[in-house]
Amino acid sequence: MLIKLKGGTVYDPAHGIDGQVRDLYVQDGRIVEPPPGARVDREYDLSGKIVMAGAIDMHTHIGGGKVNIARVMLPEDHRADPQYHTERLRSGCGHAAPSTWTTGYRYAEMGFTTAFEPAVLPVNARQAHMEMGDIPILDKGGYAMLGSDDFLLRMLRDGADQKAVNDYVAWTLNATQCIGIKVVNPGGISAFKFNQRALDLDERHEYYGVTPRQILKTLATAVHELGVPHPLHVHGCNLGVPGNVETTLKTITGIEGLPLHLTHIQFHSYGTEGDFKFSSGAARIAEAVNANPNVTVDVGQVLFGQTVTASGDNMRQHANAGHAHPKKWVCMDIECDAGCGVVPFKYRDRNFVNALQWAIGLEIFLLVDDPWRVFLTTDHPNGAPFTSYPHLIRLLMDRTFRNEQLSRLHPEAQKMTTLASIEREYSLYEIAIMTRAGAARLVGLEDRGHLGPGAAADITVYTPDDDVERMFAKPTYVFKDGELVVKDGEIVHVTWGTTHTVKPDYDRAIERSLTDYFDRYLTMKLDNFIISDEEIAEDGRGSVTVHPCGGRG
Amino acid sequence: MSALTLTLKSAPRQRVDLSPLSAAPELTPAEVAALQVWAGKRRYRIDELFEIEGEDTRNLVLRGDCRKFDYVGRDARDLSLTVAGSVGAYAGMGMRSGTLHVQGDADIFAACELRGGLVRIDGSAGDFVGAALPGDKRGMRGGIVLVKGDVGARCGDQLRRGIVLVEGDAGDWCGSRLIAGTVAVMGRVGKHPGYGLRRGTLLLWQRPESIPPTYGDCGVHTLGFLPLWFAGLRRLDSRFADPANAFDRVHRYGGDLAAVGRGEILIRAG
Repeated sequence: MLIKLKGGTVYDPAHGIDGQVRDLYVQDGRIVEPPPGARVDREYDLSGKIVMAGAIDMHTHIGGGKVNIARVMLPEDHRADPQYHTERLRSGCGHAAPSTWTTGYRYAEMGFTTAFEPAVLPVNARQAHMEMGDIPILDKGGYAMLGSDDFLLRMLRDGADQKAVNDYVAWTLNATQCIGIKVVNPGGISAFKFNQRALDLDERHEYYGVTPRQILKTLATAVHELGVPHPLHVHGCNLGVPGNVETTLKTITGIEGLPLHLTHIQFHSYGTEGDFKFSSGAARIAEAVNANPNVTVDVGQVLFGQTVTASGDNMRQHANAGHAHPKKWVCMDIECDAGCGVVPFKYRDRNFVNALQWAIGLEIFLLVDDPWRVFLTTDHPNGAPFTSYPHLIRLLMDRTFRNEQLSRLHPEAQKMTTLASIEREYSLYEIAIMTRAGAARLVGLEDRGHLGPGAAADITVYTPDDDVERMFAKPTYVFKDGELVVKDGEIVHVTWGTTHTVKPDYDRAIERSLTDYFDRYLTMKLDNFIISDEEIAEDGRGSVTVHPCGGRG
Repeated sequence: MSALTLTLKSAPRQRVDLSPLSAAPELTPAEVAALQVWAGKRRYRIDELFEIEGEDTRNLVLRGDCRKFDYVGRDARDLSLTVAGSVGAYAGMGMRSGTLHVQGDADIFAACELRGGLVRIDGSAGDFVGAALPGDKRGMRGGIVLVKGDVGARCGDQLRRGIVLVEGDAGDWCGSRLIAGTVAVMGRVGKHPGYGLRRGTLLLWQRPESIPPTYGDCGVHTLGFLPLWFAGLRRLDSRFADPANAFDRVHRYGGDLAAVGRGEILIRAG
């Protein structure tokens, strides 16, 4: 079937198209060159409409152990936000930690077609993939979490060579069906269990004697040498600690030019100035990002309201547990190999710290010059639920609206931010970069995030509106792999996306030492640990898409 | 105007969530009839389930066997609701103001997270009267619950403010994790009264089988506030309003020292 999308105003930054009126042709789920003389089966008149690729969320906690803990711990989150079943949709619930089906529906209704779970614990990867397997419409993928695992820390302690680490990293990516490597509070999750309550970049792990800097360097090198497109995805040391801007800057310079993605950097951009010893380090961070083209960031914007923070960073979550709202929290070990912390939280605009966090996030968005290197996230659900993205886009695109919101915040926080003086407003083209083309390039999806021939036909069509929040909240059409799934902000058809992975080559010899290690220390056998393609595809809905790695080793 | 009377046509096979009915004061009788409620996986109009008579939507009467109807009066404001018989679970949950009068029994979680108004149950109530919902950190936050019969276990669990009055017996763990406020029981109470009680008062007419070991015996006192407190209940249609049942001499136990320990169990003395 040939579909023609006629006369839309196209924003396709991957091809430098900035608001030109174009026709698009879709056949068999792909965007194609206009086939000469072929009969168009279905035509959509998009004159006056805005056409972009489907949006990509490159960092959102939508599956895996900690999301489930958040779901279990917050029945009130589910009770307060029920979604009833309809002829087409299954029932579900949840605002901050929505159920799987609801996650898929709500993302699609906002024009998102792909989302990545950034903290897939290798030992829990099966659970994460099974949960994501129940998320309809979206393509998904995960970043496997390393850096506090005993096997790697032993390797580093024993001075294993980089080649062996590369093999272990490549094996992990293969075994867990992931597309990138994430490190969370490098070494800190493990150090917490040895009673360390902080671990700065050059502080030694009490037991292994390894520093976070070493871990980051080794893993970033491994990811780079294996040719994994997505750079090492780093949740740095000292999340949320006033003064952590210094650590973050040292992390940027310490990586010595290797590709690095610093995630939810808003939480890592705090200074210690002012009466409350809490200030914005956004300008310095933005300057460092602008000066280091090897570094990319996503923001992890805070927006006000009730949410839940779910992180592998048990050390920092434990430190913040006293701020839990409502008063309940979980910090736990996972399979003796990692940990997690889930702390419900309410961000308040009349609270000095929260208000300044809000401003710091926006400062970073606006001060980082290159939209190809800064990405739109709220670190769902840690800064705010993903459903608030349209609101966030309006904050970026509409200075008047932004300043009006700013004027309602805690007065001391207003004094501590330069936000009011920043004139920049994001254009639609820049939004398309950060949520489509840039995100696809960063993760290594060569056929997503753009509208050129050969791309998957994930297309979102908006009707222009003075209120861009309304516009981005309710796309007129969303196509997923060429099928119309959303019309006027409502799901009209439910499809199933694929799971994006990379499978870099490695020396099989690593499996011998891993087999011994698994038999001796872990709760499952190596063969049971490895997730096969069939497991993801066996329900007839899922599939695995492997993206190429250009080895640099 | 006569009360809007809803008479059940036939008992439904599935449990019914009747919370939409709480919007009645803002609606016309025709709109009430058109309200949609969930029963299992199906939706019904109110008038598919009930015969409707009368016009005053601020005064509702439910007739028939309503034991499968849950969430009656949930979050209601300024609604006077009478159930001429027994009712399902979560009756009066989160009610803000007005009255809910159940002439029969109520199932579990009656008056849970109540915020104001009066919930009166002429029969008995199940577990977790005036408690918090599972996962929530605060139970009832205001208002009065009067149960003429018995209540089940965990009565007043995590109660934050307000009064629970029980004319009959209470089950185990009465007043567990009580944050503040008062639970008063005329009959017997089961095991572990006041378990994890933080502040607030458990007022008992009869000595429990045993006082938990985490309570300190403070001796017998005459407390001036008790006559005032009883005077505040005079308008209720209850044995609590009868001066013959009031007293000011109590044996006081302070606790629960395993929790915050600023609460008390008061037992009628002499």
